[in-house]
Parts: sequence; C-alpha cells; structure tokens
Amino acid sequence: MNERRAVDRRTALRNYIKLYLILIRTSVRSRMQYRFNFAFGTLLAAIIQLSEFLMIAIVLAKFGAVRGWTMHEVGYLFAVMTLAKTLYRTFGNEVHNLERYLVEGELDQLLTKPLPILLSLLPRGFRIMFGEVIQGGIILAWSLGQMLHSGQVSWWAVPQTLFAIVTGGVVLFAIGMATATCGFWTTRISMLQNMTEDAAQTAARYPLTLYPGWMSGLLLTAIPVGLVGYVPALYILRGELGLWVFPVLAAASCLAVLLALRFWKFGISKYQSTGS
Amino acid sequence: MGTITSKTVPTVQAEREAAIEAVGLCKSFKTPVVAQGRFSGIRSLFSREHTTKEAVRDIGFTVEKGDFVGYIGPNGAGKSTTIKMLTGILHPSSGSVKLAGVDPHRDRLRCASRLGVVFGQRSQLWWDLPVKDSYDILAHMYGVEDRDKSKRLDEFAELLDLDEFWDTPVRKLSLGQRMRADIAAAMLHDPELLFLDEPTIGLDVNAKRNIRGFLKVLNEEFGKTILLTTHDMDDIEQLCRRVMVIGGGRLTYDGTVAGLRREIGLPTEIKVTYRAGYVLPRQGGDLIIAGDRQTGAHVQPNQESDRHAADSSFAMRIVSQTESTLTVEVNRQDVRTMDVLRELGQLGEIEDVEMREPDFEEIIRRAYG
Amino acid sequence: MISFRSNTRLYRALAAKAYARNIQYRGSHLLHNFASAAFGYLYACIWIGLGRDHSLGDYGTIGMLHYITFTQTSLWVASFTTMGLGIPQSVRTGQIALDLMRPVHLFAHLMAKEWGQIAYQFLYKSIPIYIVMQLALGLTPIDGGRTLPLALTALAGAAYMAICMNYMMGISALWTTESSWLYWGNQALMNLLAGFFIPLEWLPGWLQTVAWASPYPFMLYAPTQFYLGKGDPVLLLGTLAWCAALTLLCLLSTKALRHKVEVQGG
Repeated sequence: MNERRAVDRRTALRNYIKLYLILIRTSVRSRMQYRFNFAFGTLLAAIIQLSEFLMIAIVLAKFGAVRGWTMHEVGYLFAVMTLAKTLYRTFGNEVHNLERYLVEGELDQLLTKPLPILLSLLPRGFRIMFGEVIQGGIILAWSLGQMLHSGQVSWWAVPQTLFAIVTGGVVLFAIGMATATCGFWTTRISMLQNMTEDAAQTAARYPLTLYPGWMSGLLLTAIPVGLVGYVPALYILRGELGLWVFPVLAAASCLAVLLALRFWKFGISKYQSTGS
Repeated sequence: MGTITSKTVPTVQAEREAAIEAVGLCKSFKTPVVAQGRFSGIRSLFSREHTTKEAVRDIGFTVEKGDFVGYIGPNGAGKSTTIKMLTGILHPSSGSVKLAGVDPHRDRLRCASRLGVVFGQRSQLWWDLPVKDSYDILAHMYGVEDRDKSKRLDEFAELLDLDEFWDTPVRKLSLGQRMRADIAAAMLHDPELLFLDEPTIGLDVNAKRNIRGFLKVLNEEFGKTILLTTHDMDDIEQLCRRVMVIGGGRLTYDGTVAGLRREIGLPTEIKVTYRAGYVLPRQGGDLIIAGDRQTGAHVQPNQESDRHAADSSFAMRIVSQTESTLTVEVNRQDVRTMDVLRELGQLGEIEDVEMREPDFEEIIRRAYG
Repeated sequence: MISFRSNTRLYRALAAKAYARNIQYRGSHLLHNFASAAFGYLYACIWIGLGRDHSLGDYGTIGMLHYITFTQTSLWVASFTTMGLGIPQSVRTGQIALDLMRPVHLFAHLMAKEWGQIAYQFLYKSIPIYIVMQLALGLTPIDGGRTLPLALTALAGAAYMAICMNYMMGISALWTTESSWLYWGNQALMNLLAGFFIPLEWLPGWLQTVAWASPYPFMLYAPTQFYLGKGDPVLLLGTLAWCAALTLLCLLSTKALRHKVEVQGG
C-alpha cells in the first residue's frame, strides 16, 4: 500500500514537471509570435529597470562608497534581488495576483480540483520574464566581473551567488504568499503588498547597515528580505560570517515557506467557512 | 482515520452508495454591519457588529448514480451556496455531504478526482493558449495518462465538435465554443459525477442543442450522474428526469419535472381592453371570484347546484388595472379561457383580449421563492 | 477651434468631478501614504549613510534630507499623473471619437480633469507625506515655511508640464499600442534627469547637459531648489518657457490626432 503510494507520488511529480515543460514551451512560443513586440518590450523593460540602478550608481560613482559599500557591491545587491524576485514572480506570480482571484471568485474552481490549491494555482501564472533576467544578468555580470578582476572574490562566488538567488527567491515567495493570505480576510491586498514586497525589496537593494536598528531587524526577521542579498553578500563579497551562511539560508528559506504555507492553509480553511 | 476507503470496499457496495447524499445542510453567513459616515471603510474593518444571514436551511436529498437532476431557484435563494457545499468549496455550518460515500470536506482531494465541475461564467482553461495545450496541461496536472486522454478527447471531439477550435487560443473562442471546451476539460479525468452551474447561459440555440446532446450522451450512454443548475427551463425539460427547487434557502420541491408542471399549472395573464370602462365587483382585494356580481354577496348554492357552483367557481388574481384595461391571472389548468372571458365580459364591454404566459422563472419565484 | 475662456464653469465642474471621484477612497489612500513615505525614508537613510562618510557639498546631510522630503512630496503632483491622461483607454474603447466631438478642446477638457486629480493628490498624498517625512526625519519646514509659496508655484508649473507630457504620450496611443512603455520610460527618465534622488549638479557633466536640454529638471529639481531657498529666479523663467513650448506641442499633436481620427476613422 505504501509502495503504491510512493509510486503514485513519483508519477504525479513527473507529470507535474512535464506540465511545466509544456508551460515553458508555450511561454516562449507565444512571445516569439510577436517578435518585434517581444524584442522591443524586453529591451525597454530592461532599460527602465536599469535606470533604477543607474540612479544609485551615479551617486556612488561620485562619492565612492556608502558606509563602506562600493558601487559594485551595491550593484551586486541590486542584481541578486532582481534575479531572486524574477524567480519568485516566474513561478509564484499567481500568489502575487491573488487579489484578482479573490475579487472575481476564481478560487472556487480550484477547490474542485484533485490537487492542493497552491499547485493548481501556480502554473496559471507561469511565464518567462526575459527583460528582468537580462537586466539582472547584466548588472550581476558587470559587478561580479569587476570584483573578480580586482580579486575581491574568487570564482566560487558564481555558484554561491546562484545558490543565494534560489534561496532568495524562495524567501520572497514566502513573503508574497503570507501577504496574499491576508487577502482571505481583507480581499484587497495591493497596499499591503506595496509595503511587504515593493518597499521591502527596494530597501534590501541597499546594505541594511544604512537603516536604523529596528528597521534592519525587521528586514531580517519579520520580512526577511535581508536574507536575499545582504546576508549572502556579507560572506561572498566581504568574507564576513562563514560558510555556514549557506545551510542557514537554506534552512531559513525552508522555514519561511513552511510558516507561510501554514498561514495559507489557515486562510484557505477560513475562505471555505465564510465564502467570498 | 478509520473510514472505509474505496480500496477495501468491494465494488458492489461502492455502487450501492448514493452519488450524492446531503443531510441537513445549513449555511449561515455573518456579515459585518457597514458603518456610515466618515472613514466608514476603516471603521467597518474594526466593527464588532454582525448580521447573520441564513443562506441555506436544512437541505437534504439523495441523488443516485446515473440520475440527471435539475436544481433551480430564483437568484439569491441559496442555489450557488448549495452547489458550493456539495462540491467541497464551502464548508457547511451544519449538516453533511457525501459524494459516493466520501465527504468532500474531510477528503477534498479524493472527492475531487471523482468530480467534474463546470462553472458557466468562468473557464478553467488557459486564456492565452490554444485549447489543445490546455488539455495537455490539465491532463498532466490531474494524472490522466496520454492514452486515456487521447481516447476521451477523440470521443468528445466528435460529440462536441472540438476540432473546430482545437488550435485556437481560448480568449478568441465564442461563448458557445468555450463552454464546449470547458465541459470536455471537466470530463478529461473521467469523473463519475458532474456538476454544471448554468452551462447554457448566454448561448445561441445551436450551442445549447449541442451541449444538451452531449450531456444526454454522458448520462444515458456513459452512466454519469449529473446535477445541473440553470435558469433555462428547456434544459430541465429536455434533460432532467428529476428537479429540485430551492426557495428562501429551503428545498421547496423535489420530484419529477412532470409533477412540477402539474403543481404550478398553467398560469396565464389575460389582459382585457374595455370599450367604455368596467366595473369591478365590490369585494375588494386583488381577487375576482366568479359568481359574485353586483351585490358582492356570495351566492349560496342550494343542494342541487352545489356541485355545479363548486365546479364553476374560480378566482382570478388582478395583476394590474388602468382606466380601460384589466389584467388578471388564472390557472388554465383549473379553468377554461372561455369561462374567464365570460366573467370578465360581465364587467364591461370587451374590445380586445391579450394573453401571455409568464416566464417559468417568474412562476418558480412566485411559487417557491 | 473652440474658445477656452467661456467654458470655465465646465472646467471647474470637470476638475471637481475628478476630485470627488477620489474622495471616497481617501481612507485607503491615506493609509497608502505610509507605504510611499517608507520609500522616501529609505532614500533618506541612504543619504544619511553617505553623509556620515562624505561631505555633502552645499547641502550637508540635513539639506539632503530636506531635498529628498520635497522631491518625494512633489512626485504626487509632477510625476504620478494619470497615464496618458486616460487617452489610451479611451482610444481602446472608442470613446476618443466622442470626446473629440465635444465643443471643448480635448486638451483643455482632459487638463481640467487632471487638475482635479492633481488637487486631490496634493491634498491627500503630498501633504500627508510631507508631514510624515518631516516627523520621521526630525525636520522642520525650511525657513519656517517661507520658501513654500515660490516652491509651490514652481511645482504648479511642473504639474502643468506633466499634464502636457502625458497628453502627448496619450495621443501616441493612436499610432502605437505601446503607450504604457512610453509612460514607464518617462518615469525612468524622471529618475535620472529630474534630480529625483541626486541634485543635478552632482551628475557627470555630459549627463547634466542632457538633463538641462530636457524639461525634466524643471519638474522636480527646480521646485526643490526653491524650497531649499537656493532657487535662482531664472529657473522660473525656464519653467514658463517649457510650459509654453509643451503647450504648443500639445496643440499641434491634437491637430494631428484630429486629422487621423477624421480621415482614417481612428
């Protein structure tokens, strides 16, 4: 009986992965259909987001460093946050868009499917965000490249950074899911998201030492965006902390997701009791 | 959990279990009292005052495997709330639901794999993708093997004419096409039980015919159990052998379609235009009772004409009046049109007559709402 | 062409309606201000951090805090205007044809509506954000508030310029579906060239030249300079000049729009 269940689970997982392969294929295909639009839009998106970084880059070019963080190090923080966010929004976008589901009542049909709601929900929002990947990639390549050149980091930084991006994406997803869960009570969550996602992510693009203690504490615990770029950077770029940072990041991101999932399940049961 | 799973129970017993068993379903909602005035939005969030609305009161019924049941009622009567409780979307305040012996609230996943649901206004397909891609994705999501998927889609394609829009993105489909695609999607994992929430709403005649044909095949040839909610009485007439009516949160009728028709009869509105005005019998109220004329006194039938009087007495309900017209409603199952006109003709000189059969919806609402 | 003067009552009504439409949401908007103020606070923290290790030229840390406070305040008047003044939406629904038929010039019509929106945003967003940031950063209004009248005048000019620019971006919707990209591109340029985060004199030379060749500095930088008491009256002339130039461009583009709609049916 248990063996059968294990086999079922494995086939289910394999099926789920095949599902995403189809989604990837169709995402690329549908973008390709509008070739000009696709290229133009991608480029413009990349440029627009680059301007955000240019702003601070100009400042740091003039002043040299902010609290000991150079332009390249801040660029690194920017890039890691961008790429982590892209990971989150590629896979977990529907959690960010939950408000629409709540307002239009589209959650109901997901409750009739033989799959946990989250797993039914997430594939619907999957699409590859080329512009953001390009922009993040460019800044990362530039900043890491410079730091490799100057000897500040070794080539180990590359896989370590990728690891940080993945755990960072998971943390952002957890924050997004927890924020979205509040929607089960308040329906409208865009304002809350403005704080827990936009504002927090913007804050974590800069070294947390800039902020008063209560704020940086907040950004490491309750809304742990500090774990996305700042904490990994402390080790990868500055050699502070230690190699233990990585298992801690992995554990922290898992914990964050588990907590957020608990909250989500609670929200779903509330939704099922009181309707929409 | 100690419950008997379908793996341990012999198939015979599983088949004896009712497809849907609802017992004492109740659902009430607490809505906060909306504050008025300044900053009402914020104040409502913190207010403690609530009003309780009972949407569904003590609904119970059994649907056997292979039944085709219609579920109708006026808007706001608790129809969609009941459906949500049956499909596991909403938890009942009290009472229980079992689908083939499984409780959708305790065991949502297991129930869902045996359930197909189609919501009239919402689609479960991927908006931007061609229909066939949606099916591929859904098949992978719900563990439908490629073999089964192709076989089923081939069957459905014939009945629903899916080839017409196989490659078209869902957002470009017409309403009728989208509904056909959605029904096929709901049946992809071969559920035994199908819920349809207003599937024919807004569709043209051809699309309706096509879908009704498909549902008939599903029920009669494939033995699927179907519960259908609709505002279109033709759906009920053509497809359902049994119909349940919900009004004010309660089940007000549960029986055959023929029986329903008999109960509500043939209400008809008759509008009479008088050449030179008319005089209503002086009894007041909104009823005109045959047999009363100028005196307004109720004629006491003697022994012999008792039967006669009983047979020929009837009541007409006044729907509306103007200076020169009078509109009444009668049940033509109980009384002949000629008798009605004769009565009305005694109130004044009739110039013109119009007859109208009100909407079945309207009748249901009046009778059971 | 229609007279602009005789319709003042209409314009007032349009503005009032736009204002009233927002009022019902003022509760949630006021709450939202905390989120907006949070962004301002972040930027302020960066300057505080910079100020600890570097001399901040003419401004000093406190000066930069005032700078950031005022630019954040100004955003809701000079930057966060209705995208394309609602024209792209109206082109999509076909409403634009009706709007063009009215006996009011499209530009005046939409501008009046936008002024109502801006007035609301000024009262319910700019002012609260200004107050919150002052409190959070421990500041008091510069010179007891005496610099405000001049600053606000410049800001009004900036608002006008924002209206013109959005108008033209909106009109482009008739030729391209990517007008939202233009809007975001505009925001990006604002970030860089308007002195949003960094005073213009600290930009690299070539970038400064580019900035001053555009209307952007007059939208955030100029009003802020007046607020800080550093404003050269010449800046006001610049604002005025750009207002005039942009108005001309708007009128010309309306002609082009009208031509396209009438000749080609939109």
